[in-house]
Amino acid sequence: MENLEAARLQMAITLIFHIVFACIGMVMPFFMVISHYKWLKTKDKVYLKLTKAWQKGVAIFFVTGAVSGTALSFELGLLWPEFMKHAGPIIGMPFSLEGAAFFVEAIALGFYLYGWKKLPEKFHWFTGVIIGVSGVMSGILVVAANGWMNSPSGFTYENGVFSNIDPIQAMLNGAWFTQALHMTLAAFVATGFAVAGIHAYQVYKGRNVVLHKKAFSIAIIFAAIAALFQPISGDISAKDVAERQPSKLAALEAHYETEKGAPLYIGGIVDEEKQEVSYKIEIPKALSFLAFGDFDAEVKGLNDFPEDEQPPVAIVHYAFQIMVGIGTLLAIVGLFYLLSLKWKKWQDNRKFWLLFTFMAPLGYIALEAGWIVTEVGRQPWIIYQVMKTKDAVTPMPGIFYSLLFYTGIYILLTCVVSWLMVRQIKVLNQKEA
Amino acid sequence: MLTVVLFFLFFSLFLYVLLAGADFGGGIIELFSLPKNQEKTKQTIYRVMGPIWEANHIWIIILIVIMWIAFPEYFNIFVVYLHIPITLMLLGITIRGVAFIFRHYDAVKGKSQTSYNVLFKMGSILSPLFLGVIFGGLVGGNINLHTTGANLGFKEIYIDGWFNTFSLLIGLFYTALCTFIASNFLIGEADDEHELNEYRKKASYSTIVLVLIGFIILLYGYFNEVAFVLDFLENPFSLLAVFISGVVLIPLWKMIKLKRKVWARVLAGVQVLLVLSAAMLAHFPDIIITSTKEVSILDGVAPDSVIFVLGIALIIGGSVILPGLFHLMKSFQLIKLFK
Repeated sequence: MENLEAARLQMAITLIFHIVFACIGMVMPFFMVISHYKWLKTKDKVYLKLTKAWQKGVAIFFVTGAVSGTALSFELGLLWPEFMKHAGPIIGMPFSLEGAAFFVEAIALGFYLYGWKKLPEKFHWFTGVIIGVSGVMSGILVVAANGWMNSPSGFTYENGVFSNIDPIQAMLNGAWFTQALHMTLAAFVATGFAVAGIHAYQVYKGRNVVLHKKAFSIAIIFAAIAALFQPISGDISAKDVAERQPSKLAALEAHYETEKGAPLYIGGIVDEEKQEVSYKIEIPKALSFLAFGDFDAEVKGLNDFPEDEQPPVAIVHYAFQIMVGIGTLLAIVGLFYLLSLKWKKWQDNRKFWLLFTFMAPLGYIALEAGWIVTEVGRQPWIIYQVMKTKDAVTPMPGIFYSLLFYTGIYILLTCVVSWLMVRQIKVLNQKEA
Repeated sequence: MLTVVLFFLFFSLFLYVLLAGADFGGGIIELFSLPKNQEKTKQTIYRVMGPIWEANHIWIIILIVIMWIAFPEYFNIFVVYLHIPITLMLLGITIRGVAFIFRHYDAVKGKSQTSYNVLFKMGSILSPLFLGVIFGGLVGGNINLHTTGANLGFKEIYIDGWFNTFSLLIGLFYTALCTFIASNFLIGEADDEHELNEYRKKASYSTIVLVLIGFIILLYGYFNEVAFVLDFLENPFSLLAVFISGVVLIPLWKMIKLKRKVWARVLAGVQVLLVLSAAMLAHFPDIIITSTKEVSILDGVAPDSVIFVLGIALIIGGSVILPGLFHLMKSFQLIKLFK
C-alpha cells in the first residue's frame, strides 16, 4: 500500500471511531441532565438511578473521546505536516476556541462526577448543563475548521505562498454554518436513536421496564425532533455544495456529463470505467431543482473537471445514498414516535419496541456515510482547490504499519467500551430485580 | 502579543509537566508499591486526582494547538522527525487514560480489574518516558534533516534523532521527576502513618534518583559535547536555576518533616518550575537542535494578524478556564491555602 493511501486510510479510521465517541460524549450529557432534572423535581428514585447510569456512560465516552481526540490532534501533524504548516495558523482560531470549550467541559465534568452530595443541588445540576453546552460548542468549532477545508477563505494564495491571513474570516468560512448545523443535528439523531434503541431492546425483553421506558422517552424525543429537521438542513447543505463544490455534487450524484434539467439518480450501481450508473431510479429534472431551485438549471458533470481533480465517484455516490436513505427513514420513524404520543396504545405492542431496537445503529451508519461524502467528495484536495492531499502527506515512509497499529488499538477500544456498556446494563437490571 | 502567546505556551507546558506529571507519577508509585499497599495507593490517587483528572490532560492539547497555530515551522520539524516517539507517547496516554476510567467505572469489579491495573501502570511509565525522549530528541542534536542533501536512510532520519543515550536519559529524568512530584503531592493526602511513611520513602528515593540522573546527564553531555548541555553549563541563568532548585530541596524536606502540606507542595512545584526554566533558558529560542543547524521556535512564526487573534483568544480563554479550574481544585480541597 502506498504511503498516501495508508495515511488517508489511517485518518479515515481514526475519524470514524472518534466521531462516534465524540458524538456520544456530546449528546449523552443532555439526556443525563434531563433525567437529573426529573429526579430533583419528582424525587422518583428511578430517575436518580438512570442519571447515575448515564453518568457512567458519559464519563467513559468522554475519556475515550478525549484520548482519541488527543491522538487525532497529533495525527493531523504526524500524517499531514505540510497541511498543518500552512493551514495551522489560518484555521487555528476554531481549534484554539475548541480547546477552551473542551477545557470548560472537562472542568464541568470534574464538578459533576464528583459533586454528588458535595455541591449545592442546583449548582451541581447546572454543571451538567455546562458539560452538554460546551460539548456542542466544541463540536461546532471543529466542524468549522473542517468547513474551511471545503470552503477556504481568510487568506490570499499566490505562487504557493499564503498571505494576508485573517483567522476570523477563515473561521467564519462559507461552509461552517451549514456543516455545523447538519452535524449537530446528526449527532442528536444518531445518539438519540442509538440510546433509545438500546433501552427499547430492554423493554422488548421485559427487563426493568419502568426505568428503560423512562430512558427511552428522554432519548427518543431529542432524536425524533432532530430527525424531522435534518432533511431541511440537508437541503441547505446540498444547495451549498452545489454552489461551492460542483465537483463534489457531481460525484455524490454520479453525474459525468454536464446537462440542463439534470435528473436525480436514486440508488444504482456506478461503473467508474464506463462512466455509467445502471439500475438507478431517475427523477427527471429533480437534481437541477434540488441543487439550484430551478428545474432547468445547469448541473456541471465530472467530465468538465480535469481528470486529476475528480473525486472518487462510486464510494461518494453510495455513501450519499445511504445517508439520505437512512435520514429519510429516521425522519419517518421519528414522526411515528411523535404520533404514538397521541395514540398511546401503539406503545403496548411489543413490535413497537422491536422497531426502535432495529433503528439503534442506523443513525450512526448515516453519520459515518455523511462524513465519507464530505471528506472523500473533497478529494483530491485537502484544501479545496488550493492544496492537494498528496502534497500534504508526511515524507516518512512505512505509514502502513502505523495504520495497522492505530486500527488495532481502536478496534480493541471499541470492543472494550461496548463490553463495558453491556455490563452496565446487566448490572442496572440486576439491581432492580 | 507574541509575548502573551509565548507565555501561554510555557505556562501550559509547565502545568502539563506538573499536573500530568503528578498523574503519571501516581501510576509509577502504584507500580513500585508492595502488593498489599497498591489498593490503598490506587484509592488515594483516585480520590485526589479524580476531579481534576480530565482537566490535567487538556494542557497538552492547548500546548499543541498553540504550537501549530503560532509556530508552524517548528511544529513541522517536531511531527516529521519525531513521529515514532510521539506515536508511542500517544499510546501511553491512551492506554492509561482509558484504563483509569475503566477501572473506576466498570460496573462489575472483577478479574478485569487486574488487566486495567496493568495497562494503567504500563501507560504511566510509557507516557513520561517518551515525553522525555521527545524533548531529548528535540535538543539532543541528533536529528538529521532530510533536506541536508546527504543520502540518508529511514534509520538516520526517523530513528537516530531520538533513539540514543541522551534522549533516553532525559526520558528517565522526566519519569523520575513525575515520581518526585507525585510522592510529594501524595504525602499531604495520606490517611494514616503507614501510608505517610510509604510516600515519604518514595519521595526520598525519587529525589535521589532524580539528582543522580541529572548529574549523569550533565556528565554525559559534557564529555560527549552535547550542544544543549554545554550551553546549559555556560548559561548563568540555567546554572542559577539549578543551584536554587538544589537549595530548595532543604526547606522542602523540612516542610515534609513538619507536615506542612501546603508549603511542601508549593516548594515541589517551584522545583519543577526551576528545572524546566533552566532547560528552556539554556537554549531559548533555539529549542530544536539538529545535527547540522539550530532551529529557533521563532523561525517562521505565524504572521502578526494570527498572533494577535490567538493572543486575544488565549487571554479570554484563560480568564474563563483558570478561575474555573481554581474553583474546581478548591471545591475538592486540592488547594488548601485558605484553610
